[in-house]
Amino acid sequence: MLTDILTIMPTPSQVVAAMPRSRFIGLMLLFLGPAVAIYTLFSIYPLLATISLSTYSTGPTGDHIFVGLANFITLLTDSVWSKPFWNAFFNNLLLFLVHMVVQNPIGIALAGLLSLPALRFRATYRTLIFLPTMLSVVIIGFAWNLILSPLWGVAEGFLKAIGLGAWFAPWLGLPSTALVTLSLISVWQFIGIPMMLIYASLLNIPEELVDAARVDGLGQLRIFFHIKLPLILPTIGMVSILTFVGNFNAFDLIYAVKGALAGPNFASDILGTYFYRTFFGYQLQVGSPTMGATVATVMFLIILVGVCVYLFLVQRRMLRYTF
Amino acid sequence: MTRSRITRLGVHAVLFAYVLLAILPILLVVMNSFKSHDAIFGAPLALPNADTFSLIGYQKVLAKSHAVTYFLNSMIVTLGSMFLVLLFGAMAAWALTEYKFRGSTLLALFLSIGIMVPIRLGSVAIVAMMRQSGLNDTLTALVLVYVAQGLPMAIFILSEFIEQIPKDLRDAARCDGVPETRIFFEVIAPLLRPAIATVAVFTMVPVWNDLWFPLLLTSSDSTHTITLGVQQFLGQYTTDWNSVLSALSLAILPVVVIYVIFSRQLISGLTAGAVK
Amino acid sequence: MATLRIDKLNKSYGDAAILRDIDLSISEGEFVVLVGPSGCGKSTLLRMIAGLDGVTSGDIFIGERRVNNLEPSQRKIAMVFQSYALYPHMNVKKNMTFGLKFAGLAQPEMDRRVAEAARMLQLGPLLERRPRDLSGGQRQRVAIGRAIVREPDVFLFDEPLSNLDAALRVSTRVEIAKLHRLLGATMVYVTHDQIEAMTLADRIVVMNHGRVAQSGKPLDLYYDPANLFVAGFIGSPAMNFFKAKVDKKGAATVTLSGDGLPPFDLAAAAFAPPPGAPVTIGVRPEHLIADAPGQFRIGGAVELVERLGETSYAHVRVAEGVTLIAEMRGRDAPKAGDSIILGAPDRDLHLFDERGERIAIG
Repeated sequence: MLTDILTIMPTPSQVVAAMPRSRFIGLMLLFLGPAVAIYTLFSIYPLLATISLSTYSTGPTGDHIFVGLANFITLLTDSVWSKPFWNAFFNNLLLFLVHMVVQNPIGIALAGLLSLPALRFRATYRTLIFLPTMLSVVIIGFAWNLILSPLWGVAEGFLKAIGLGAWFAPWLGLPSTALVTLSLISVWQFIGIPMMLIYASLLNIPEELVDAARVDGLGQLRIFFHIKLPLILPTIGMVSILTFVGNFNAFDLIYAVKGALAGPNFASDILGTYFYRTFFGYQLQVGSPTMGATVATVMFLIILVGVCVYLFLVQRRMLRYTF
Repeated sequence: MTRSRITRLGVHAVLFAYVLLAILPILLVVMNSFKSHDAIFGAPLALPNADTFSLIGYQKVLAKSHAVTYFLNSMIVTLGSMFLVLLFGAMAAWALTEYKFRGSTLLALFLSIGIMVPIRLGSVAIVAMMRQSGLNDTLTALVLVYVAQGLPMAIFILSEFIEQIPKDLRDAARCDGVPETRIFFEVIAPLLRPAIATVAVFTMVPVWNDLWFPLLLTSSDSTHTITLGVQQFLGQYTTDWNSVLSALSLAILPVVVIYVIFSRQLISGLTAGAVK
Repeated sequence: MATLRIDKLNKSYGDAAILRDIDLSISEGEFVVLVGPSGCGKSTLLRMIAGLDGVTSGDIFIGERRVNNLEPSQRKIAMVFQSYALYPHMNVKKNMTFGLKFAGLAQPEMDRRVAEAARMLQLGPLLERRPRDLSGGQRQRVAIGRAIVREPDVFLFDEPLSNLDAALRVSTRVEIAKLHRLLGATMVYVTHDQIEAMTLADRIVVMNHGRVAQSGKPLDLYYDPANLFVAGFIGSPAMNFFKAKVDKKGAATVTLSGDGLPPFDLAAAAFAPPPGAPVTIGVRPEHLIADAPGQFRIGGAVELVERLGETSYAHVRVAEGVTLIAEMRGRDAPKAGDSIILGAPDRDLHLFDERGERIAIG
């Protein structure tokens, strides 16, 4: 995607050459000024400030002392900080894996079904499947909390009706299942996005290619795996990196369902909630802006590494096919 | 022919089953919000009938919370940020696509970093900045942050769009001696209308549903957004099922209504932007 | 190779009828071109033969088999698409063997067929390349190669030359003609270009609005069009048409006259309509000559002359709103402003009744 930006720059316009330099600068300030100013001030600067803050510590008198990478070492090794950090990190990883394994394949499958030729009710299916994505995470989280709640019994009743009653447990309340359950709820909500992106990509494949495959003797399933799937790999790559960034930035669902403590017993704690607690503090600990900044910087680095791996290793290998 | 008929039925069965999975939870919540307390627990899957219909949940919600204020705040913040994102984003996208100057490529790259890197990570500094400038606990703070968040993607989408506009239009205007600013506002801007749907999808929905920044930046009832308001209400009245279900439904219904009305534009906007 | 027979074929989408009562019989090894304007149904007919679209009513037979309910791959057909439809993520060799693999062919057999097709189409050096590294003409040859390796009973071509530039179109057209002679294959070819139809076909099927307007050998259609549509479609530049009416009807001859057309006699009494009836007279630009036998004469002021070298086209205004185009050869074509009178022998005249059907002359 970033490399696409470089390709949309055209050759210089002749007007630029003819305009007096001062007028041109004024024009650019007018057009670019507001966007660049707001973006730099509220996106880039805070990020840089946070990274910088992570290299400081708060002294006894409340002022900042430069400590270099000490905070990072503390975060990663001092058990007071590192135990919850690594817990949050591995939970976050699990969240990401559940999305990759459940959300993306199902999204791809749904997109594949929706893009079949001459499908009736296609628009209706699309609209309804995308509906949960439109709703606030708070609503989704709480609604599922109620549905899965043993008090209400809806989920239990449903499972009993299909003979799987023995499976039921208060999943959201058990440390062993809470995170996976929340991950699945998140998948349920956001599956619409990879579905739509891949659907759009499938629409791009010319009909004649599918016809040629039919003449070659392939059934629809084989056509999907041998023809369509290879051609949408770039989109799948993009979906994967967006999932990665989204998951390692996640916060809302866990917070809405489990609160800042991400229980039970921190079983659903992810980097986002850990960051929130570190920065603002909670019952057992005072908030620490510098350590919060440290956690945020680490999150930034994790995401940066992921994005770089994607850009330089994955995207380069994937060829976009134009038709 | 019959073999493909069966496969077709199978496809519809799968899609239908998934649709049920997608909307049943929402339907359950909305349905039960109209029932009396006992009916909710007694027969959760039943539709509200004459006996069980009750608006008690809604009455409580509207009485105990500032739902209307929250809703208005969300509207102001969402519409405000979308307007500014469109205005500043279009101007920037135009400047970057049309006028090439030393560093414009770098600037474009700089602006696109925001697509991948989440703005939340700078929250520590954002909160500090807002406190220092006295913007803490204002809707303005939210708008500024959301505009910064939405600009990179908007500029990217709008740039792709502007690339499609035939160069003849600008050349003709220039031959006529029209000044550059007017070319943008009167020739180019009206043609960007189709792109608005795409930008709207990527901007409005995350802003409306966002919990993080209202949580960090607003502290008083008068500035809370609906998402934050609902979350706090739910936290407070967890055991009051009527109120809880009604609050959820109140938050769901406006979005659903708007979504159903605009679904075609929204989805075509999403797919158009995604293809790029 | 096989025969192809189409019986009373109909195709509708809901209420919209695309093809009506198509009857067609193609012999083994025949090259048949389906030609007609956009929307006439020729591509739909081809797709139905291929099995890509279903039949509403009627039958399709390939060889002795009724193929209505068979999948494309079961019909022993191969298709060459307008946009070549090469799999972008496979190289040329893989493109050609992809379908064969799923048919269960052994590797040596696949290699043999690819080598054979590559030899025929000069694809040897291209086998390892991907489609995006090939030119338009090369891609088209690969598409044809992919069809050849299937060793089908019938080859189907869907406007294969439309996406090529003019020069390439001519050379590829020749290659396809040579291929037909080499393989002796049954080929059904769809195009909107009547020149392709005339040069490639053993038989042309002209279609209009979902029906067959006329089917026959190219020169038969040229010299003996059955109706106004075919007369105007075949031949370039198109046939000149003049509105006329029957003045008198005798035992053997009729007298006709029209705008800019002085009365003349024609031996067409047998099938001609009664006096007063409107008719259309058709004559090709290349048949209008200065000293013609017969009574047919038409002329006026030359408005414009298009000179192409040895051939020129004179646009002559014969009456208010009536212009004819005449082909002239040599350097003494008339100039704009000249007055000119042309005629044509009876055998080069065409007569059509008010429904557009041919009236026999002779």
